[in-house]
Amino acid sequence: MKLTRIRVDQFRQFRRALEIDRLDPGLNLFTGPNEAGKSTLVAAIRAAFFERHRSASVDDLRPWGDPAAAPTVALDFELDGQPCRLVKTFLAKKRCTLQIGSETVDGEEAENRLAALLGFQHAGRGASKAEHWGIPGLLWIEQGGAQALREAVGHAGDHLRGALERALGEVAASGGDALLATVEAQRAELLTEAGGRPRGAYKEALEAEAALAGELGVLDDAIARYRQRVDALAALRDEHAADEAEQPWRAFRTHQQAAAERLAAVREREAMLAATRTRAAQVDAQLALLRSQVDGFAREDEAAAARAAALEAARAALDSARAPLEHWTAQRVQAAQALETARATLRAARQAEARDSLAREAAASHARHAAGAAQLARAEAAHAQVLALQHAVAANELRPADLQTLRTQDRALADLRLQQAAAATRLVYVLEPGRTLELDGAPLSGAGERRLLAAASLVLPGFGRLQIAPGGADLAALAARGADLEARQQALLVRLGLGSVDAAERRQLEHARLGGELATAQATLEALAPGGIDALRAEHARLQARAAEAAQALARLAAPASAEGEAAASASAAPSAAASVIEAEAAEKAAADALAAIQEGLHRAQLAAANAETALAAAARELAAARAQLAAPERARRVADASAALTDTRAEQLTLAARSEALAAEIAAARPDILEQDVDRFRSSAEQLERRHAERRDQLVRLEIELQSEGAQGLEARRAECARDHAWAARRAAELRRRAQALDLLRSLLRDQRRALTRRLQAPLQKHLNRYLQLLFPHACVDIDDDLVPGPLTRPLAGAGAGGGVETGDFEALSFGAREQMGVLSRLAYADLLAEAGRPTLVILDDALVHSDAERLAQMKRVLFDAATRHQILLFTCHPAAWRDLGTGARSLAALRAD
Amino acid sequence: MPRFLHTADWQIGKLFGQFEPDEAALLAEARFVAVERLARLAQEHAVDAVLVAGDVFDAQTVADRTIHRLFNALAGFAGPWLLLPGNHDAALAESVWTRAARLRAIPPNVRVCREARPVLLEAAGIAVLPAPLTQRNTFNDLTEWFAGADTPPALVRVGLAHGSVQGILAEDIDAANPIAADRAASARLDYLALGDWHGTRRIDARCWYAGTPETDRFRANDSGQALLVELAAPGALPAVSVLATGRYRWQALSAELQVASDVDRLLAELAGFGADDVVQLEVGGRSDLAGHRRLTDAIGQARGRARSLVAELGALQLEPTVADLEGLAADGYLGEVIARLQAAQHGAEPAAAQTARDALVLLAGLLECRSPAAAGAAVASAAAPGGDR
Repeated sequence: MKLTRIRVDQFRQFRRALEIDRLDPGLNLFTGPNEAGKSTLVAAIRAAFFERHRSASVDDLRPWGDPAAAPTVALDFELDGQPCRLVKTFLAKKRCTLQIGSETVDGEEAENRLAALLGFQHAGRGASKAEHWGIPGLLWIEQGGAQALREAVGHAGDHLRGALERALGEVAASGGDALLATVEAQRAELLTEAGGRPRGAYKEALEAEAALAGELGVLDDAIARYRQRVDALAALRDEHAADEAEQPWRAFRTHQQAAAERLAAVREREAMLAATRTRAAQVDAQLALLRSQVDGFAREDEAAAARAAALEAARAALDSARAPLEHWTAQRVQAAQALETARATLRAARQAEARDSLAREAAASHARHAAGAAQLARAEAAHAQVLALQHAVAANELRPADLQTLRTQDRALADLRLQQAAAATRLVYVLEPGRTLELDGAPLSGAGERRLLAAASLVLPGFGRLQIAPGGADLAALAARGADLEARQQALLVRLGLGSVDAAERRQLEHARLGGELATAQATLEALAPGGIDALRAEHARLQARAAEAAQALARLAAPASAEGEAAASASAAPSAAASVIEAEAAEKAAADALAAIQEGLHRAQLAAANAETALAAAARELAAARAQLAAPERARRVADASAALTDTRAEQLTLAARSEALAAEIAAARPDILEQDVDRFRSSAEQLERRHAERRDQLVRLEIELQSEGAQGLEARRAECARDHAWAARRAAELRRRAQALDLLRSLLRDQRRALTRRLQAPLQKHLNRYLQLLFPHACVDIDDDLVPGPLTRPLAGAGAGGGVETGDFEALSFGAREQMGVLSRLAYADLLAEAGRPTLVILDDALVHSDAERLAQMKRVLFDAATRHQILLFTCHPAAWRDLGTGARSLAALRAD
Repeated sequence: MPRFLHTADWQIGKLFGQFEPDEAALLAEARFVAVERLARLAQEHAVDAVLVAGDVFDAQTVADRTIHRLFNALAGFAGPWLLLPGNHDAALAESVWTRAARLRAIPPNVRVCREARPVLLEAAGIAVLPAPLTQRNTFNDLTEWFAGADTPPALVRVGLAHGSVQGILAEDIDAANPIAADRAASARLDYLALGDWHGTRRIDARCWYAGTPETDRFRANDSGQALLVELAAPGALPAVSVLATGRYRWQALSAELQVASDVDRLLAELAGFGADDVVQLEVGGRSDLAGHRRLTDAIGQARGRARSLVAELGALQLEPTVADLEGLAADGYLGEVIARLQAAQHGAEPAAAQTARDALVLLAGLLECRSPAAAGAAVASAAAPGGDR
């Protein structure tokens, strides 16, 4: 397809008609700055082909502000050697005419013919979009869109495959991609893309089926359980009815009763045996008592005889006990006399000794009394002296501070006097003898001097009076101070009772002397009476009293001594007296001891006699009692009774023993333990049956109620509903499964077939592409993928020589510029492929390759020049300088519009 | 002259899972309607009693509402109804009957024969010997006692039983609940009213299966009926007439398509279905796309008319003709895909073959859905696009 003329009118910025003719069958370069109308021209070509002339969505084709415009595009071109003309007018005048050689078609038919010829489709509604553009969309590169290859190829895929069939000898599928997309979409509703697992409605249907199947299983189980229990109910009812009729526990109750009765009889025998044994025990006890009673009577007789013998023995014993008493009594009289004698002797000895001692003591007391009196006298004298001195000292006492004060005052007064004297008005007078003056009332005569300390009045007899006032201010003050001092001194002296300071001094001396004397006197007194004079006096009184007492004691003792002359005489010598006392004491003690020993012996003899007497009396009493017992009036009868009772009781004992034996044998034969077990066994059997009966009845009631309530739940009805729902769900799941499987199969088949077809297209496309590629990247090669889009690019590493390393990278990973270049190359390769298949090709590049550097652009120019030998290429650019060496003349759009 | 209605196998509460839910509901409902119709017929024919030979209920534990509805449906006939427990509603220790009694649902004129004991309908002149099932299934002949039971000579002797007559119903030879083939004669019965077999069936002059009053399956034939029995006197042969009671006609239709006219014939049959038809359609053989399309269209239309139509076309193989393929514009590899699917539907593995058939139908449908204009354009030029989507 070669465009020869383009005419645009009332089309966007081309308000006036613009016509470009004599287009080159190869390269055509259109230049112009921005807004010059390059893109509008491209848009006009696109609109002429892609947009329906009746479309209401092409308002943008109209020049601004020209609602009445009828945008028109007219294209002359050559197709398969035939001249063609397309004239399309939009909006205001909707018109489309296509001439192919001599044939003319109009309207929609013309548009469909074009679409079929070029391999694109029209939009169903609205403006045409990239997805409709098919092959022209691939070959007509929009501004900045060279690199967006995959989308363009995708939109052109079916057209390409279809268009290339002739070259390949293959039949492509019409709308195959669309169909595949539909199948994939429908499959995707039911199966996951990755694993082909159920999803969406299919999954829900499977889940619903499984859920209902589960529910059905549960209901089946419940129904089976219910049925089992209904059967159990019937069985229970039968058993219960049979039980009610038979009442099998009754027989056991009867057996139990019989056994119990037999057991009761045995128990009665056992009671009898026990009673018999009790009675036997009583009889045994009674027998023992009787035996002891009889023995007692015998013992009484023996005791009476024994008592009589005992009495005789006691009497003999008394006699023998009384024999030593007389001897002991005589001995005691002698010993008492000897003791009396010894005591008299001792008394006398002691009296003598006491007198001597008193006499000595009285003499000593007297001596001590005399000495004490002398000492007391001296001490009292010394004491009187001390008292006198103490008085004297106290009278003379002057405190050193007072004395000091007096002395100080005296010195101060003396100083004052001197000052006064110094300041005083001296009045010296020398009077004629006999003549007197009277100074302040005091007569002056002779010569003398007076010092006037104060105003004085000097009477001159006969003459009057002189008033003398001493000068000097401080004289009065001195006088005042002096008066003060004197007054204070005077007061002190008065208080101390002294006439003057000298007297004070004297008294002080006197006081010191008296103090010394007092100390001496006190020391004397201390020596004489260390404990004080009063102690001395008391001691003296005590000694006096003792002396008096000793004298008195002696006086008292002296009298008896004189009365007992002989004894006193014998005791005159003091030492002998003392010795005699000791001896007398020893003798007295010996005598006393002898007496005590004899007394003891006597006492023992007396005691023995008394004991013997008592024993005798007791023996006599016992004998009397025994004899009285034997002599009791009932005794003989009682002895006879006891003997008879003993015989009877022995007989009963034998009878009881025989009966016990018989009873025990009878009981043993009846086996009460086994009888007891029988009763238990029968009772337990009966109870068990009764209990089972009752339990069964309860179970029946329970089961009936349960079944009634469960029956009301309509289990089987629910199961039927569930089964119905499940069948439906299963059917739906099966339908969806079949659909999913069919879709899955369809998709894989479609994919396989499409891929197989695509592979056949890949090789020629690759051949063309690689040819261009060598111009751009020497020794590089590129793979074509399933979508007929350039895939990984393999080329030598930059800087490596031939045989060096290679690098491989995806088309998408290339730089923008490289992708743009690859995009153009790929499109040219497609164009070659289409041309080989005899399909029309027209390549339009709107400002393409602006991202290429100079070197690459140079290569691209070589590529384009080569391609232009096979295809018509319209190249629009705003960089005329960059394309100057393209080998074709550039047409300036601005210039064209100016024409 | 005693006259009674003999019916059986009402199967109240039965549901039909093989149909769409709304259709199944209507079919379940129809069973109540059939009973109402029976009551009306009893009234119209002024019968002396209605004898129901078992399987009144389809299950023991049906909803209370179902029990009430059933007994309410009997209201149209005030005379005596004798209901016999069958294998579906046996008189177990706890059964639908005990529950109905507890619910006080059973009207006084309805008698449930729960025990094997003669029931004397003096006014009607009928002595009924019932053989109720007291277990779900039994292998004893429950009618054995009939022979030994004496009934007043003035009354006609009618046996009422539910089970399989031995040696007659070949497919039920091993079935439970056997009934001796000569029971009517051996027990001196004037008539033996049987249930269990869902179609009306005469065993001998005195022994009949009434069949279910409303058809419930495709298999049974001659169902949807009840029997009007007249006995002139004890010993006389019964006059049995068949009354139609059912509404729905259950039909299992299977067709093997080989040539185009087979399709026409099937279509004609489908066109004949009306609102009372319940149809199960199974189609096998082979068909071209056009035939398949016509068939599916016809099935769709028949579905709209019939009460219910279940169609299974899985066995039908698609054999697209050249014209079909042209019509579908299945050029290029699409044609290849169709060829492969066509081959695969004859595969040895049934599931895979089925999938291939399904895929083929699906593909044909998708291709047909493409706009005819586009398809036309595609035919006009192989290079044409797939058309508007």
